[in-house]
Amino acid sequence: MAPSTLPRKRKAVTRDVPEMSDVESEAEFGDGQLEGILSDSGLDNDSEEEEDEESGEDELDEEEIPEDYRDAENGEPNGARNGLVVHESLRSDGLDDDDAPNYTIEKDANGGERYVYKDIDPVYDSDDSDFAIKDNTIGDIPLSFYDTYPHIGYNIDGKRIMRPAKGEALDALLDSIEAPRGWTGLTDPATGKPLNLSQEELEILRRIQTNEVPEDGYNPYPDMVEYFSGIQEIMPLSAAPEPKRRFLPSKHEAKRIMKIVRAIREGTILPYRPPEEREEEEDVEVHYDIWQDEQARPNHITNIPAPKAPPPGYDLSYNPPPEYLPTKAEKQIWESTDVEDREKEYLPTKYDSLRKVPGYEKLINERFERSLDLYLAPRVRKNRLNIDPASLLPKLPRPEELKPFPTVCSVLYRHKERVRSLAIDPSGIFLATGGDDGIVRVFEVTTARQVWHSKIGDEEAVNVVRWRPGRDATILAAAAGEDIFLMVPDIVDIETEQASLDLLDAGFGYATNTVQALTANGARKDPVAKWTRPGTRLEADGVLIKITVRSTVKVITWHRRGDFFSTVAPTAQKSAVAIHTLSKHLTQIPFRRLPGIAQTVQFHPSRPLFFVATQRTIRSYDLQKQELIKIIQPGARYISSFDIHPGGDNIIVGSYDRRLLWHDLDLSTRPYKTMRFHSKAIRAVKYHKGGFPLFADASDDGSLQIFHGKVVSDLMENATIVPVKVLKGHKVKSALGVMDIDWHYKEPWVSSAGADGTCRLWM
Amino acid sequence: MGRIKKKGTSGQAKNFITRTQAVRKLQISLPDFRKLCIWKGIYPREPRNKKKASKTSNAATTFYYTKDIQYLLHEPLLAKFRDQKALEKKISKALGRGDANDARRLEKNANRPEKTGKTKYTLDHVIRERYPTFIDALRDLDDCLSMLFLFANLPSTPTVPAKMIARCEKLCLEFEHYLILSNSLRKSFLSIKGIYYQATIQGQDILWLVPYRFNQRVTGDVDFRIMGTFVEFYQTLLGFVNFRLYTSIGLVYPPKFDKNMDDHGAELGAFSLEGNGIGAIEQPNHLALKKEKISKPDPKLQAEIDKLKLQLNEVPEDEPMTTQTVAAEENEEEKATETIDKFEPALPGGDILLQPSYSTTDPSTLFSNSTFFLSRETPRQPLEFILRAFGCKRIGWDAVLGDGAYTHNELDPAITHQIVDRPPPQVNPDGEVAVEDNQTAQSLQPVSRVPGRIYLQPQWIWDSINDEEMKRPDLYAPGAQLPPHLSPFVKKVRGQYDPSAPLNEQEREGEELEADTDEEDEEDVEDDEELAVREPSLIENMESNGGMDIAGSEDNDSNSGSDSEAAESFGGFSDEEEEEDEATTSAKQRQRELEAELSGVAIETPKIDPVAEKKAKARKGAAKKAKEEREELERARMMMSNKKRKTFDKMQYSNKKKEGEAEVLRAKRRKIEKSGKTAPRD
Repeated sequence: MAPSTLPRKRKAVTRDVPEMSDVESEAEFGDGQLEGILSDSGLDNDSEEEEDEESGEDELDEEEIPEDYRDAENGEPNGARNGLVVHESLRSDGLDDDDAPNYTIEKDANGGERYVYKDIDPVYDSDDSDFAIKDNTIGDIPLSFYDTYPHIGYNIDGKRIMRPAKGEALDALLDSIEAPRGWTGLTDPATGKPLNLSQEELEILRRIQTNEVPEDGYNPYPDMVEYFSGIQEIMPLSAAPEPKRRFLPSKHEAKRIMKIVRAIREGTILPYRPPEEREEEEDVEVHYDIWQDEQARPNHITNIPAPKAPPPGYDLSYNPPPEYLPTKAEKQIWESTDVEDREKEYLPTKYDSLRKVPGYEKLINERFERSLDLYLAPRVRKNRLNIDPASLLPKLPRPEELKPFPTVCSVLYRHKERVRSLAIDPSGIFLATGGDDGIVRVFEVTTARQVWHSKIGDEEAVNVVRWRPGRDATILAAAAGEDIFLMVPDIVDIETEQASLDLLDAGFGYATNTVQALTANGARKDPVAKWTRPGTRLEADGVLIKITVRSTVKVITWHRRGDFFSTVAPTAQKSAVAIHTLSKHLTQIPFRRLPGIAQTVQFHPSRPLFFVATQRTIRSYDLQKQELIKIIQPGARYISSFDIHPGGDNIIVGSYDRRLLWHDLDLSTRPYKTMRFHSKAIRAVKYHKGGFPLFADASDDGSLQIFHGKVVSDLMENATIVPVKVLKGHKVKSALGVMDIDWHYKEPWVSSAGADGTCRLWM
Repeated sequence: MGRIKKKGTSGQAKNFITRTQAVRKLQISLPDFRKLCIWKGIYPREPRNKKKASKTSNAATTFYYTKDIQYLLHEPLLAKFRDQKALEKKISKALGRGDANDARRLEKNANRPEKTGKTKYTLDHVIRERYPTFIDALRDLDDCLSMLFLFANLPSTPTVPAKMIARCEKLCLEFEHYLILSNSLRKSFLSIKGIYYQATIQGQDILWLVPYRFNQRVTGDVDFRIMGTFVEFYQTLLGFVNFRLYTSIGLVYPPKFDKNMDDHGAELGAFSLEGNGIGAIEQPNHLALKKEKISKPDPKLQAEIDKLKLQLNEVPEDEPMTTQTVAAEENEEEKATETIDKFEPALPGGDILLQPSYSTTDPSTLFSNSTFFLSRETPRQPLEFILRAFGCKRIGWDAVLGDGAYTHNELDPAITHQIVDRPPPQVNPDGEVAVEDNQTAQSLQPVSRVPGRIYLQPQWIWDSINDEEMKRPDLYAPGAQLPPHLSPFVKKVRGQYDPSAPLNEQEREGEELEADTDEEDEEDVEDDEELAVREPSLIENMESNGGMDIAGSEDNDSNSGSDSEAAESFGGFSDEEEEEDEATTSAKQRQRELEAELSGVAIETPKIDPVAEKKAKARKGAAKKAKEEREELERARMMMSNKKRKTFDKMQYSNKKKEGEAEVLRAKRRKIEKSGKTAPRD
């Protein structure tokens, strides 16, 4: 505190001085003194001194003045010591300075005098004990207290220490990037300036880093000063003689040193090297031809390469054709749908020039999604049929090529009751029908004129009528109840009629003989069928033979030669299927047992084969060898009827479960084609026998369907089946539609018997 | 009796492994597993039967092939990951002990790519494994390029270090340099997402997307660690691909990179390519090559010729001329062997085989004779790249766009084309020019047009390269309404809508008519004549109910039947139906006349507009045809097996959808064309 107290004392002294000097000034010094004081004000002491030394004579006067003034104070004579003082001031400027008044007088705001003191310069040798303390006098408090102020504390004079100008953040950043030597990035808390390290300090740091002695000139291995061992004790602590090892070099140390030496020679111990900067490593990228000896590797079957992203379409264009731009409604829909549900993740937009195209916001997201897809999405190979669907469609012949086939109903044959069966005779002139009224009628096909009729069933309906094949005779077989009638309607010329009558009558003699023989064989056995005359009334009509079997006959099928015919009575267990021989008036039961209820039978058109349909299967038997040949399994639940193609290798099967099945007998026992076009049960199926590749089926839904089914003789080629026509016209009556159909022998005409009491001819 | 087989010991249960199991087996963390999967290209599989594959009944499980995971077990990278993990543990232990020295020492070995931009491992062997041949690598370059070009344009963030971005940019530019030099860029497309480019390298089409130069908005739902893993792999891949490509055309890789120029925005110009002296550098200028040949004839050949001349006792008249001709001939021969000959069928009846068509213009010569100048508002980078790739040698641009230009002087007389993307100056009635942008007005007078050059909008370049010919410049003049910019990548499929073809070529028959009816329906429903045409179906119905059996009426019946049955039933042929139609129309006419007679009103003969009648007839014809086709199809469909029918129906569904889309587009276009506001189409 000495320097601060000193001026105060002086101040107190000097206060009075001006008043005193005022008196003397005019007399002794004049104006010069005042000027000197004024000129001193505001100048730094040090600089003044330097100036003093340089400037020489002129300044000397000024220096001299305060001296004089002090002398005057002390009361010494002024003029006598003038020369001496000059010398003295030259010798010791610094010392003299202390004595000089260190204030200036200024005018304050009120016009009064104000003393402004010079700064104190605590030089090194001054007795200032606080020298080590920094300028800032705020003491040991955090600097952050001053954060809101423009200053960071007060100096010893109570003046504010202003915060040093700080660069902007950018400057700080730039500084950090440039990183001048000695930069620490720290701020000196005392000054608020960045704390930089000096060269010496950096050198010290470097030495520490390299494990050297930090201080320069420090000898780490000074000569040993033998404080204790150098002194010869008068009274040694031990009388033992000095051991020898004290005089010999240490072997152990030598070993260790040699180890180190060896390591240095081998290069395992290396002199210190500063760690390399990582920056330098980075640029070294090794590139070489990695595919120098490339070998193609066949793709493993489990490896599925990632699918490529689809290429951009027209609507992604920045300037798409106007039709790709969404309408208002489309836009609204797009905006209202959830982001995940949108079909496209963008809306086509049009920009009329390239500079207006903005950045695409979702690009990073899309790429991210793609990345996720690449490593997260399970890949599955899906076989996509990239073919024209039209190529899947079977090649069908043109409808024109399929003609002729029946298309319209042209003739209607009216009955009172349900018609159950019908047949067109081999000449193609007559149509026989039988129905619920028990009457067998014969119509002229084209005119629908009824030419003949006979009531054969009294209560029973006529279940089936069939003409005998062959043009030589005209014989009609009909079944009503358990009776089968063979008749010769008198509609043809005399000769044919006579031939027919002869044919029927021929068996009578033969039958009586055999019947007796049969009875002799079997002990009192009922004949399976009785061949009798039906009675005079019927005989007058032309019904000549009545065969009575054990149960209701539903089906009659003629053999192609006309000598045999087979009947089926499904309700009869053992005698369901019977084969009748016309020429012998003989009835045989070929099957003692059948695996199911017999439905219908057919003779093969050319070979001695016999087909029997049970509910599920069709069995074919060789009549000559008397053995089972084949079991055909159409897969239908309930077979209603079937027919054999005139060629003999294909059959069609109709079933009550609405299926129409085409079997190729050479191909398989399973159906070649299954057609399910009917909504109700199929009752009858028929091939055209006269050369047209047609077949038809009749269903309970009241419709007939006509198909074109061409069979080629080439074994390699399958039959082509084309549906050609649906014939509708029959009404459905009590869930029954069309009961029976038959093709005309020559023309592509089909006739159908309906449950509605009509028969129709379609042509 | 054999041993009872234990469940879960064979088949799918053995072949598949869940992700959790895989991670456990490999003894790594999930992020490390993810990295391995990305690099090694291992992806989850979908087992055929999930129940059999999984031991638990967890629905959403990802499965991997067990074989894949076993293959990962021997991966050297896996060992690296484990080492790294151990090292991290050591560091944390050292730090826990307060042994900073030790920690620092260990830290030196640690893998800190975010700081150094470099990893302690390399992915070279992975590249070799995944792409056994170079072609395989090229095939997979699409995603690689798209990703790297995107990252080259990203702002740097803590997750995306600046070094990574710089490296991506460098690799991309190097790749572009190769494309320029080898002229393998084929197509490009300006989309709203960015610019698509397609190049063909060694027969492989590579398509990638480069975003526009805007700051990409980085949203929070993107995991940059995953992207970073991909980028790391792709960088290595593209590095090797670039090396191979550069060496294949005789260049040194990596090319010299001038950092100073790059800082001034030279981009492509910052690289200087140099030959390695091994492979032949492809001479970009074929003309120069030819000249050389001409000037230096083969000495042997020359001797031969001289001999011949002596034999013929002919005085050599003009030596250089002859050599030239010979050289030219030789040239021709050479040319003939190189190109594919065109096969013309000599006799009719043979199959026509497709041959690759040589484009008439070589892509390297498309712009070779032009000098371009890019105005300051145009995107320089894509334009420069495309122009260079298509043979342009002299491209100048405004100094604002960066260094490396042929000229910065807009008034250079050598410039033939200038790409401009600002509206043309609007001239006021008093002759003054209104300038909309003050800034541009200050620096350059945008109004001034330098004579002797063509001013074009940027789209011209893209359309020109896609069509491999210089497009008509007047369509692309500044301020003109541009023709639509079409994607060159769309393969034209029959039945798909093609905007470049005229509308009537791709319409279905009678589509326009239908559209007309629809419109007319909307307009006037009560039109009498229309009624007469559309009525017959009603009358037909009446008649069919009247007792007589008309084959044609079966359609109505089947329609009224249950749906399932309708699907199964088929609808025969209707030959008479049309006649019926005619008949019913005339019947209706007569009916009307009769009614009129009865009521005593004079029949007003309906005034039939001949045009309308013609239209109606055409429409009816079309309807008839359509119906016939439908019937035919139905008939054929019925004859298919169930399985086939199902696939057929499925295909029909997707095709119908596509057709529907195309139809919507056609309808829109028709509307636009009718309204007359069409952009020019070429």
